[in-house]
Amino acid sequence: MAAYIIRRLIWTVPVVLLVILMTFGLMKQIEGNPFRQTERAVPAAVQANLERKYGNYVKGVATGDLGPSLVLRDRTVNDIVKEQFPNSIELGLLAFGWAVLLGVPAGVLAALKPNSRFDYGAMLFSNIGFALPNFLVATLLIYFVSVKWGLLPTSGWTTWQHKILPSFTLGLVPMAYFARLVRGTMLETLQQDYVRTARAKGLRRRRIVTVHVLRNSLIPVVTAAAPLLGYIITGSFIVENIFAVPGIGRYYVTAVSARDYSVVMGLTVLLSIIVIFANLVVDILYTVLDPRTREART
Amino acid sequence: MSATQIAGRIAGVDAGAPIRQSSLWQDAWRRYLRNRGAVAAAAVFLLMVVWCVVTPIVSPHDPNEVDFASAYEGPSWSHPFGTDQFGRDLFTRAALGGRISIGIGFAATFAILGIGVVYGAISGFVGGALDNALMRFLDALYGLPYLPFAILALAIIGTVDFWTMVVALSIASWFITARVVRGQIITLKENDYVRAAKAVGVRWYGVLGRHLLPNTLGVLVITIFLELPGVILGEAFLSFLGLGISPPDASWGSMAQDGRDSYRAHPHIIVIPSLCIAALVLCANFIADGLRDALDPRTKET
Amino acid sequence: MALLEVSDLRTHFFTREGVVHAVDGVSLTVEAGGTLGLVGESGCGKSVTALSIMRLLPTPPAEIVSGSIRFDGRDLTQLSERELEDVRGREIGMVFQDPMTALNPTLTIGTQIVEVLQRHLGLDRRAARRRAGELLDEVGIPRAHERLDDYPHRFSGGMRQRVGIAMAIACGPRLLIADEPTTALDVTVQAQVLDLLDDLRQERQMALLLITHNMGVVAESAHDVAVMYAGQIVEQAPAQELFSRPEHPYTEALLAALPDLDDPHARESRLAAIPGRPPDLIDPPAACRFAARCPYAELGDCCALEPPPLRELRPGHWVRSAHPASERHLARL
Repeated sequence: MAAYIIRRLIWTVPVVLLVILMTFGLMKQIEGNPFRQTERAVPAAVQANLERKYGNYVKGVATGDLGPSLVLRDRTVNDIVKEQFPNSIELGLLAFGWAVLLGVPAGVLAALKPNSRFDYGAMLFSNIGFALPNFLVATLLIYFVSVKWGLLPTSGWTTWQHKILPSFTLGLVPMAYFARLVRGTMLETLQQDYVRTARAKGLRRRRIVTVHVLRNSLIPVVTAAAPLLGYIITGSFIVENIFAVPGIGRYYVTAVSARDYSVVMGLTVLLSIIVIFANLVVDILYTVLDPRTREART
Repeated sequence: MSATQIAGRIAGVDAGAPIRQSSLWQDAWRRYLRNRGAVAAAAVFLLMVVWCVVTPIVSPHDPNEVDFASAYEGPSWSHPFGTDQFGRDLFTRAALGGRISIGIGFAATFAILGIGVVYGAISGFVGGALDNALMRFLDALYGLPYLPFAILALAIIGTVDFWTMVVALSIASWFITARVVRGQIITLKENDYVRAAKAVGVRWYGVLGRHLLPNTLGVLVITIFLELPGVILGEAFLSFLGLGISPPDASWGSMAQDGRDSYRAHPHIIVIPSLCIAALVLCANFIADGLRDALDPRTKET
Repeated sequence: MALLEVSDLRTHFFTREGVVHAVDGVSLTVEAGGTLGLVGESGCGKSVTALSIMRLLPTPPAEIVSGSIRFDGRDLTQLSERELEDVRGREIGMVFQDPMTALNPTLTIGTQIVEVLQRHLGLDRRAARRRAGELLDEVGIPRAHERLDDYPHRFSGGMRQRVGIAMAIACGPRLLIADEPTTALDVTVQAQVLDLLDDLRQERQMALLLITHNMGVVAESAHDVAVMYAGQIVEQAPAQELFSRPEHPYTEALLAALPDLDDPHARESRLAAIPGRPPDLIDPPAACRFAARCPYAELGDCCALEPPPLRELRPGHWVRSAHPASERHLARL
């Protein structure tokens, strides 16, 4: 088990290095403008300098220092992250919460009453949820809920009322995803022989569903959490933008437009590391949940 | 009788290659047609593509002509989608935008497929330690959000136009396809009738051409319609954030961005391109589902 | 009165391709404490019969269209789902064919046995666990009490089947239905499992409905044998009687197909297989379903015109055929 974790960790290193390299390349592109324009090869002396700078940066990341901001001269990337990151985390968690709260039960009910009107309705909503661009959803929600009915504020991130619309918008796609996924895995599980055995033992339906079916159906849901993180990060760029949430999704775009590439690099590295670790955690969780894989993985 | 057929006989297995293949496709085609939702989706998809191609050619309006007198008009006979803040006809602009959005969508999807096939094929075919290494690398990359990387790629490239957008999006999104292709190749490689062919001495590229590729083709077609929505939405997001295609060219995403400020009074400017995106994505999803069912039928759940 | 009396059971599957007449006229009886072997080739409807008795078939496609299933006087086809939940596991237990998939892989086997004890007998956890250990012991699992907390994947196929049996008999049912309990097991293990079933039956005075496609299994274990073909019972008789004086042409053919090691010519001769294939159950023949493969059916025979009824040829010996062995010499006249 420990060996497995270590092996996976080792493989994340080249990826993080690659990510840093890519963003580093960007920074050097912008700084080394004269060379770009004349299209001459970068002289050897500067090249060596580049490699040393790259090394320094990597060392910085390893120690948790993401460097200074290029534009805001009196702040470091770390400062910015400390300010804005918690808001993004909160947004992401709330979105995930919506998704689990509404998406999972929808999937369960759809599977328990297959081909019913609820089932068709739920799957239709799910399909629409995937297809509608989140900026449209955000706009419509703001238009109706905030402007027309005045129930919730249009933007900002101070009171709990502010947090409802953005998190719901961001949670819509994960919600649709969970509904579909849970429905699928439940239907599959319901076909399994051991469910038939449970029925043959005369167990009450409720017990069969909660103990035998749900448990096994929810395992894939856990593993789906990892790719969903990717969506939540992506979606947050738009949602934070529209709802003026002070998070790193919004800041990333601002930084790119302002050419603060140090920030861009730092945030990219940070996000990548988070995702990679989230994947690892999910993989480990999966082993914990399914006893069969426990022994295969050691 | 082909060598593979002889091989099949010896192995006691009906390899019957060429005949099998055509009936596989015909079967799948027939199965697809029975799925009304998928057929409708395909029809709408095709219609949209045609609309995008034809409308700008036949439209009486110049999509870039500014006419403040007719600004912000709602849908009407002369402007089925209304006009935007510059008085430009949205119907024509949406069709044009569609050309770009759909064009980028397909181009990027094929690029993803290309990268994925190469990576997956190398990994799957060579196998062993290289496969292991490549897959572990992929595992670590899996789940990385494409948006920051696409933004980064665009910033590195410097300019944003059709092809740079394609490159940026594909670089950021090829991981899943690579894994799928490799998985496909591994399954097919281990197939018994391939072993039988090899045992009789049929060349490996014969095996490749006759058996592996046609089966993989099905999976690739499905993958196209699975990746397409992601790429189209990706381009839309980038454009909406202002990092996308620059004017006068407009994609659906940048049109939506145009309508962003005036949505309270004139929602149609943002709604219409967004619905176009949604419609296309919805169709692509249904088509992918339909193809999946057609090419790999299993007994329905109920 | 017999413990289980199935009368003219018909179970049909309503699918997109048509109506599958999977069980189309099955009548059988199982005496209390006795063993009925239900034999037939794959696809003849034996499993569907068993699942129909337990009412375990998914009711959208499947439906019991007619017939009765009287267990201890009550007609199971008339009971509600809740009432059936009380019967299953408590009065009738069932063991399934594939031990690899019949157990929930994410729960310990202790949990899976305890849950049925708690459900029907209302035992508390401790008592239930103790009882579960005793049951595992009874079915022959070594170090039973220690293995309660193991997961199914740690058991071999034969062991898993024993666990399945333990679960099925846990609450002392009066009837145990075993659907091909040995088919998925190694030959050496098969005999052990069959012996176990027979021992349990005797000790607990439990009736056993043993379903199999293997005549050999039935010859060893059953008191009565029913032969099934294409969804119908074609012959039922006490085992001895069936093997020594088979009546239905299909039964005769089945027995003739058994390889006989004592036959001096065994090495040189071919296995006597039955030519042809069973009829399609979506559109079964209107008359005798075996007629197409029957060596005694003649052109223009009643076999092709009317379905032969299941009749009692001799006391306790039922046959569904127009040409049972004991009447063939009559036809020649």
